[in-house]
Amino acid sequence: MTAQVTVLYFAKSAELSGLKEEELVAVPTPISSQGLWSLLLQRHPRLCVLQHQVVLAVRQQYVAIGDELVALGDGDEVAVVPPLSGG
Amino acid sequence: MTDEVGYLKAQLEEKEKDIVALKNKLAHLEKSNASVLELYEKVTPLTPLKAKASLSNEDIMRYSRQLLLPELGVQGQLNLSKTSVLVVGCGGLGCPLAQYLAAAGIGRLGLLDYDEVELSNLHRQVLHGEENQDQAKALSAANAIKRLNSTVECIPYHLQLSSENALQLIQQYDIVADCSDNVPTRYLVNDACVLSGKPLVSASALRMEGQLTVYNYHGGPCYRCLYPVPPPSETVTNCSDGGVLGVVPGIMGCFQALEVLKIASGQGSSCGQQLVMFDAQDARFRSIKLRPKQAGCAVCGENPSVTRLVDYEAFCGSAATDKCRKLNLLSRDQRITVQDYKSIMDTAEPHLLLDVRPLVEVDICHLPTSLNIPLSSLEYRKSEHIQLLQESISQLKQQMEGDCRPPVYVICKMGNDSQKAVQVMEKMSGSEVDSITVKDISGGLMAWAKRIDPTFPQY
Ligand SMILES: [Zn+2]
Repeated sequence: MTAQVTVLYFAKSAELSGLKEEELVAVPTPISSQGLWSLLLQRHPRLCVLQHQVVLAVRQQYVAIGDELVALGDGDEVAVVPPLSGG
Repeated sequence: MTDEVGYLKAQLEEKEKDIVALKNKLAHLEKSNASVLELYEKVTPLTPLKAKASLSNEDIMRYSRQLLLPELGVQGQLNLSKTSVLVVGCGGLGCPLAQYLAAAGIGRLGLLDYDEVELSNLHRQVLHGEENQDQAKALSAANAIKRLNSTVECIPYHLQLSSENALQLIQQYDIVADCSDNVPTRYLVNDACVLSGKPLVSASALRMEGQLTVYNYHGGPCYRCLYPVPPPSETVTNCSDGGVLGVVPGIMGCFQALEVLKIASGQGSSCGQQLVMFDAQDARFRSIKLRPKQAGCAVCGENPSVTRLVDYEAFCGSAATDKCRKLNLLSRDQRITVQDYKSIMDTAEPHLLLDVRPLVEVDICHLPTSLNIPLSSLEYRKSEHIQLLQESISQLKQQMEGDCRPPVYVICKMGNDSQKAVQVMEKMSGSEVDSITVKDISGGLMAWAKRIDPTFPQY
């Protein structure tokens, strides 16, 4: 099974990927959250500097990057959110 | 006789009116004199904030438009008046935050900032004015707040929050607002709030984006639950090099004020387990539901390893400031001074001047003969830029005939990126481009503006 999802990149991740948003047409599902993150890293290797510093969210819910299995559906939103520190 | 009595009574009444007017004038003057604020250079114990029994007629009039809200009401207003809030950072977030808290009638505001007001702050730090340049930000902010609402007690702290003073300070306040501009301070404030059990209303902003979360609140996560490991310092962009549109921290600071007021008045915040993100470009707010606090968290977990404040600059590998630090990546013979470069220019010695700043900065100002190729294009070998570089170098080589290693001088704003670029170019020399001698111009264009050409713009 695969799903078509929209990935949103925020803050530093948008700068590193050069994108604010992209469609991924055939993401396997269910997939571990680590697997999902690795898939994003494959597409945008520069994101690796954010490893351990990023909030990953699926359908606007936080998912810890690890073994947790995530079921994806068509049209789901995945967000990559590194912290901002400026003020 | 009766005429005279009437006359005297009228006279007396007149004089009494004068006395009342004089008394009022005196009281007013004394009040404004009392508001000449003392700047605190260290943390001292404060007297506890007293709860008001009821609102005065002046309070009722001043706050009438918010008293009409059933969500606030008289009790909410009384709650605000007995709440103290520590504002960490009187910059782009702290200014609007403090302004709205004071306007709403918060009891006490601690305004902390170690910095002075600079011209480049004014586009976003809206409590400071042109006449406040070089003044301590904490004092400038406190004076502006006093003009807005003299009944709010303001305590300006001109100091750097540190592991030594943070707990003593934070313990004295009910709510803490993180309006700081750097990573070590964010971890320090978080840990101090966890250790002293205070809710932390935290916001941040950069470029066209903002984030907000209330940490350590009603079982929600702390900053470390979310970000257990600090980011490598070279991946952190701050407002002084990334830029920020002033209204973005303005919106986030107002949002922080809203959550502080909800907590202080007793309504409670709904951002305790949420990360709210603001995208100014799309004019969109999004929010991510977070997990509760983590049992394994180093500071708020079940077996915390952080039980007192640590060295946060060491932990984060960066200084607790948003000022750029000076890198030292090259040896002395790989660098020249701006004076050296001036004489190279004056003697018209053939060379290539490479400006490695992003285009948006080159548009602000540049030296007339420079070739612009951003550092990122060099690092990622952007083909059209590499080609341009190859062409410029081989042209220079032809022009120089005998010399086989044409000189390339690299410049940027402060002299950090130019050093990185020299390292990249040395790897490219002899393979991706003709062999070159590449050097960095120490201190960059800002050193040029300071030492060589005072008419050159600084930013
Ligand atoms: Zn925690």
